Amino acid sequence: MAFEYLPVMARAGAPKPPRVLATPSKTAWQRLEKPLAQSRVALLTSAALRSSEQAPFIPRDDTSYRLVPSDPAAGTIVIDHHSGIGRVPRQDPEIVFPRAALATLANEGVIGSLSPFHISFMGGLKSHHEVESSLAPAIAAELRRADVDAALLVPY
Amino acid sequence: MIGTALDIMSQVAPPRGAFVDHPVGRTFGPPHDRPCNADVLRKTLAEFPLFTHCGEIRALACEWPADGGREWEEDLRAELLHER
Repeated sequence: MAFEYLPVMARAGAPKPPRVLATPSKTAWQRLEKPLAQSRVALLTSAALRSSEQAPFIPRDDTSYRLVPSDPAAGTIVIDHHSGIGRVPRQDPEIVFPRAALATLANEGVIGSLSPFHISFMGGLKSHHEVESSLAPAIAAELRRADVDAALLVPY
Repeated sequence: MIGTALDIMSQVAPPRGAFVDHPVGRTFGPPHDRPCNADVLRKTLAEFPLFTHCGEIRALACEWPADGGREWEEDLRAELLHER
């Protein structure tokens, strides 16, 4: 049986009421137009991570995003997310942001090509309306501009 | 998406959800285990064409640790409860 996070998170946040999980107001299902082996793929992460030279995320309710180079040799990754679970991912961001693994799979032909960048933002945002009306459309526009066919979200 | 929290995934119902039974924060495996990172990612991407409807969640054939033991849950619970 899978580990149940919600009761533990509720207990950890007590006496504050449990967080409300939001669901999108619109269905996001899109048919795959082509096989992954012909698709350009990007990673999306809510770990608030960035390249070391990019501006830090501001804790808690920062609704900005970063375009992180998809080249695994393109410098050090920093995780700004405030979550206490960050101790282990900070040892090796690849375990929540598999930049090198995706590049490997591109070289193997599992995916058609890498997006020139992946996209990072802050997870656990309380401003659901701003996420749906502003942040998500901005991310979608970036992906369209880069001709990305499919994106894999890794929540943090 | 790929996630480690099945109860959360079930409530938010992403378009295509791949569940990996790993502790939160170790989605693609233990630190510095590149073969494991690639294996989890390969299995995730292999699921892409198999989803048939929005909100579907498919479990990946990955275990933490490989013998399927659940002792890691107590460590994880302690880690989460000290988070403030």
